[in-house]
Amino acid sequence: MKPTVIIFLILLIMEVILAGNQPKKIFPFSYEKVELSNGFKAYLIPVEGSGLIAYYSVVRTGSRDEWEPGRSGFAHFFEHMMFRGTKKYPGPVYDRMVTEMGADANAYTTDDYTCYHMVAPSEYLERIMELESDRFQNLYYDEKAFKTEAGAVYGEYRKGRVNPFSVLFEELQNTAFEKHTYKHTTIGFERDIKDMPNQYQYSLSFFNRYYRPENVILIITGDFEVARAKELIKKYYGNWKPGYVPPKITPEPPQTKERVKEVKYNGKTLPILWIGYKGPAFDPGNKIVAGLDLLVDLAFGETSEIYKKLVIREQKIQFIGADFTPNRDPKLIDVYAMIKKESDIDYVRNEIDQTVKKFQNKLVSVDQLEKLKKRVKYSFLMNLETPDDIAGNLARFAAVTGGIEDLDLYFNNIESVTPEDIQAAARQYFVKNKRTVIILKGEK
Amino acid sequence: MKYKITLLVVLFLFSCLFFSNCQKTPGVQMVQLPVKNDPTISFRILFKVGSQNDPTGKEGLAALTAALIAEGSTQKHSFEEITEMLYPMASSINSQVDKEMTVIYGRTHIDNLEEFYKVLKEVVMEPAFKEEDFQRVKTNTLNYLEKTLRYSDDEELGKEVLSEFVFVGTPYEHIEEGHISSVKNITLEDVKSFYKKYFNRNNVIIGLGGGYSQDFVKRVEEDFNQLPAGESAQISPPRVKPINGFEVLIVEKDANATAISFGFPIDVIRGRRDYYALAIANSWLGEHRNSSSHLYQVIREARGLNYGDYSYIEHFPHGGQRQFPPANVARRQQMFQVWIRPVPNYAKLFAFRAALRELQKLVDNGMSEEEFELTRKFLKNYVLHYAPTTMMKLGYALDDVFYGIKGSHLKLFRDYMDHITRDEVNETIRRYLQYQNIKVVFVTNEAEKLKEMLVNNTSSPIKYQTPKPQSILEEDEEIANYPLNIQPENVKIISVEEVFQ
Repeated sequence: MKPTVIIFLILLIMEVILAGNQPKKIFPFSYEKVELSNGFKAYLIPVEGSGLIAYYSVVRTGSRDEWEPGRSGFAHFFEHMMFRGTKKYPGPVYDRMVTEMGADANAYTTDDYTCYHMVAPSEYLERIMELESDRFQNLYYDEKAFKTEAGAVYGEYRKGRVNPFSVLFEELQNTAFEKHTYKHTTIGFERDIKDMPNQYQYSLSFFNRYYRPENVILIITGDFEVARAKELIKKYYGNWKPGYVPPKITPEPPQTKERVKEVKYNGKTLPILWIGYKGPAFDPGNKIVAGLDLLVDLAFGETSEIYKKLVIREQKIQFIGADFTPNRDPKLIDVYAMIKKESDIDYVRNEIDQTVKKFQNKLVSVDQLEKLKKRVKYSFLMNLETPDDIAGNLARFAAVTGGIEDLDLYFNNIESVTPEDIQAAARQYFVKNKRTVIILKGEK
Repeated sequence: MKYKITLLVVLFLFSCLFFSNCQKTPGVQMVQLPVKNDPTISFRILFKVGSQNDPTGKEGLAALTAALIAEGSTQKHSFEEITEMLYPMASSINSQVDKEMTVIYGRTHIDNLEEFYKVLKEVVMEPAFKEEDFQRVKTNTLNYLEKTLRYSDDEELGKEVLSEFVFVGTPYEHIEEGHISSVKNITLEDVKSFYKKYFNRNNVIIGLGGGYSQDFVKRVEEDFNQLPAGESAQISPPRVKPINGFEVLIVEKDANATAISFGFPIDVIRGRRDYYALAIANSWLGEHRNSSSHLYQVIREARGLNYGDYSYIEHFPHGGQRQFPPANVARRQQMFQVWIRPVPNYAKLFAFRAALRELQKLVDNGMSEEEFELTRKFLKNYVLHYAPTTMMKLGYALDDVFYGIKGSHLKLFRDYMDHITRDEVNETIRRYLQYQNIKVVFVTNEAEKLKEMLVNNTSSPIKYQTPKPQSILEEDEEIANYPLNIQPENVKIISVEEVFQ
């Protein structure tokens, strides 16, 4: 199960434990929300003791928002461009200031959001805010710098391309989606990456449409004074002009037939079987979504029957697992296995089908469900050790739902999930006609 | 040479210090890191045995033994049952093996301490070493060597091949996982014997961190004192063969990009003032995955040739997956290393020359006052990120024992940043770094063509898709013609199928 999902689940259980029947306080840390008139939102979560702050700027734009043909991979490319600085603090000056602070600064891009994060000693809060607010509002780069960075992005693509999973994901998304922008992976189609150096003008429009206050959420955790942070937010983000233009994403038409593809990998690898069932968009108020979150672990996690049988007893596969990642639009519920012999692919696929049927036809035991809820709780408790852990774990929830307020709602849902809900989730979403099967094989 | 002998003596004395600690103590050695408000407990059980102790022909035995401890059955419970027991706690028990040490580690919430500790104790002290677990773990290792490492991660492949190339002929030579033939050669009996020989109370240090009680410490100490006494795993530090000029190994495969790593052994380790001076120079030249790295600025930022370029003065495994140095990969012999992430095949020689030229400039010219001041300031705060959690702090504390550091390496690191001078850094650069005797690994296609270009010192001009500033183009001219003096007999080509065979 992915950490982001785990944290959602555990948070729910925490609520029950800490608050009992009182008005429920889910999150173990108190926080304050700041909302400016331009639509900019910040969540301030003070946690004393470390001497550090984690500063996460979450842009609610990812590869999902690349709706124009030929522009796949642009959100990720843009993440690179954000380090080129502004007229006030050009790239080398920005780099130097970050270096002086001894900050751990980086960024990543996903399907639904782009996240810029920095961890640094608390004394630098104002400097960080000045630097970050400046580049989000006044980014400046010339065409030469833009073209040079395109080379680095292509280098990143090449680096990843030797990995069989990169090859597989590209085919999976391309096959599972016809219209929706989830058709391409976050790094984008190679042909579009090659063409990036020619898209300077488009990059300016991308920045103007998406890097706007209504589309950015700031999360600050660690050792800092909330009152001071609030003042600084008004000072540095208050004059940012709104102007977000939503992407024109075409909804994916319903899938009516199973899609199966075999992919060849130019190297040696054990065969990989990957099944992507069409899933729901993340909705914190939806009981079935909560059930789905638990279902994937119950059915295919490390204590599941299929895991014990195929990994431990029969040793036919190296691993098996399943994920349901919260997304803004309906995406995939993934079930995957790395198989030791090609001749066992059909056998493993059949075992997965049998597992699905079992969960559709039979109720999971209450004991199993309770063990999972306990796991979720302790996973949460053990994953909030540093300011970086806290902010990092909240980033996707904030990006997908637009804030962290709905944690309460979602966690209530999780805690109340019953064996019947698990069964309903299995029946509703593990549907053969709505799945894409990718079989990746290496060279002999 | 004289210096090298002195160093060996120092290293020998140092190794005695490390291992004699245990012999003096009647019971097991403990390293404690109490953290009052931490609701979790971290365990790192370090055995002073690593891949350097693998018998000839059985390389990979230490790693296989550790994996079987962490991922196998105990005498009381099957692996399935152990997984079931750990599952509701959201805890796991893992292993890590390096040249000199093996760590079994895990973390749990204090609510689950009793249950978790019971499992951990069993796993470490009463492994069952069942045939079915052995086959599962062994097959996973072989798949990793035969498929994953050879084909799906050229960067890691290049770094691992370089490590074997630099430490050839020493107990550090083979990668921890071993080679395909040696792993195939390992039997369950070998694993049992290895465990019996080395996993004893004379070779163990128990690391405990978090919000535990003193009563609990006593229990742990008593329990692990039940481990049998045994022989020490101590062996002499590796004596690395001197490098003669440039020695190049080209791993040929059908690659769409080229991974490059090069380096040489250095006789400097944590705890000594020299180390921290050299750390400043290294951070400036190539701080890991940081845009402050000068190599990154030259190769990626200014030219866009790849994703990043870094340098190291300590072992830093799996750099693609982590931002900060791992704990418990401590070694008595380190190497200086440059890691050039995959570049387009047309730019392989250019990128290599560019990195080498920057190394030469650093050795010849040293750091400027401005570079020194900035890097010193940076590192003083940056090391705060190295060990943010109790588990990592505990790992560092164990490494402090290995290196014989009184106090803490990380504190020492910060303190030295206020005291080391630029002259000292530049003197240390000249003492430890050089650009004449280097081993180089390329993972690439068209190996013969590359060999020819290397030995003929062929110019490697580069063309960009897009215009570049005149200053860059002028510098490119120098890079493209940077002289290489490589003898044909010093360039070997091997197919990827031969690697780790």
